[in-house]
Amino acid sequence: MKNDLIFQLTNVSLEVNNLSILREINFKVYKGEFLALIGASGAGKSSLLRMFNALSSPTKGQITFRNQDIDTDIQSLRMNVGILFQNPVVFAGSVKENLLAAGRWKQNIAQTLDHELIHSLEQVGLNNIELKQNAKDLSGGEQQRLALARTLINHPQVLLLDEPTSNLDPKLARSIMDLINKLRLELQLTVIAVSHDHLLMRRYAERVILLSQGLIVGDGSFEVLDREQALEKAGLLESEITDET
Amino acid sequence: MKPDFYVLSWNDLLVSLVFIAFSIFLIKKWKLGLEQTLLIGTLRTFVQLTLMGYVLTWFFDQQHWAFMLTLLIIMIIIASYEGTRRQKNEIPHFFSAMLVALLGSAILILGTILLFILDVEPWHSPYAAIPIGGMIIGNGLNSTSLTANRFIGELRHREQEIETLLALGATPKLAVYDAMKASIHAALIPNINAMMTVGLVQLPGVMTGQILAGIDPIIAVRYQIMIMYMWFTTATMANMIMLAIVYRQFFTSKMQLRRELLRDNA
Repeated sequence: MKNDLIFQLTNVSLEVNNLSILREINFKVYKGEFLALIGASGAGKSSLLRMFNALSSPTKGQITFRNQDIDTDIQSLRMNVGILFQNPVVFAGSVKENLLAAGRWKQNIAQTLDHELIHSLEQVGLNNIELKQNAKDLSGGEQQRLALARTLINHPQVLLLDEPTSNLDPKLARSIMDLINKLRLELQLTVIAVSHDHLLMRRYAERVILLSQGLIVGDGSFEVLDREQALEKAGLLESEITDET
Repeated sequence: MKPDFYVLSWNDLLVSLVFIAFSIFLIKKWKLGLEQTLLIGTLRTFVQLTLMGYVLTWFFDQQHWAFMLTLLIIMIIIASYEGTRRQKNEIPHFFSAMLVALLGSAILILGTILLFILDVEPWHSPYAAIPIGGMIIGNGLNSTSLTANRFIGELRHREQEIETLLALGATPKLAVYDAMKASIHAALIPNINAMMTVGLVQLPGVMTGQILAGIDPIIAVRYQIMIMYMWFTTATMANMIMLAIVYRQFFTSKMQLRRELLRDNA
């Protein structure tokens, strides 16, 4: 089990402008897990997710990646830990240029063959897209898939999801999450997903970390959290009722 | 008959006050309420430039190279301060970035002009170094101020794009490369446009001044061509040096974008 340890967080706290965003966070993430970070808005889940890719750092505490401090080699960490944002970033240019954006600083980029790129598109279900097509012409769902393909070109071990389907309609959101889950199993990826949509996450996440006002208030499967009525206590179900009215 | 040159006497200058009188007449007629400000402006133009004339005359009499260098460095410090003051956004170490950018471009471009193009003897003659140095510094200041502002705008606009590239493993330099390119592009376009239309639409000030002072237009034109090339190179060099220093200020040592610097504090 020790070799399967991907992330370990020890007393992680984050303060921004004297405001406490995260407080004394401790947990471990193991290889192959689908972990959902759930919480009401402002609970600190996106701030926490960014730390796994070292896009921000804790003000206190330590994070390790494969038993090494996360800051040891940030570029290599980032290639191993891909992230998908809420709004997919699509660069001006062709689909091919977008895929190569992931590796344009690598010297061997010229040797990346088209068939490798086409394979990465097929991996994410973009079978009818041509490499020379203008990326900005793709639909929202296709752009998110393209962003996923671009991340996969780095052959990451971990995939971070920052509400990547919240701007898509429910059917499309499910198909993208199904795809990510399928890729997780095929490629033995570890997935850490931030979402306010716990109903969607119930389909995929084996483990949930529930955050409220920067603190962990629950850690376990949805069944365990449901038994403890943890989601209600974290104000999640209330906000859902408010959203509907 | 071609005059040797037109000398403008103090009396002639008094006559030019007719322009101001005419402007005041128009301003009054339109009730713009700018009379007093214009009168102060008129007086300040006269006093400041007259004083500068005497100061320059004294400067030009100085022959020691250290004097000329000190003066250029003072001009660069003032320009860097002015550039920092003009900056609406907080850019850490912007003063130093301006200082290095202006100093670097002034040394290289002024040095080339004095030593290899005009072959000034001695090289530190203030007659050449001060006005040309002033043009380089002034042009560098204007161009870098615009570029820095544009660069912040690009960073704000491309925040997620930059973080996406960083998250994929790009270095900060590569993550902001497109933003730097767009800012320099925007700064150089007016210079290129000026090169396209010069002589067709308007005659530049330096050339006009030289022709009025009796210099052969062909020679005046040569000066102007050199100045146009110099302007462009100054803008390119100063902007590149400035951005190479400035972009680093927006990242932490852990290659993280300092997003707090992109929040609007204007």
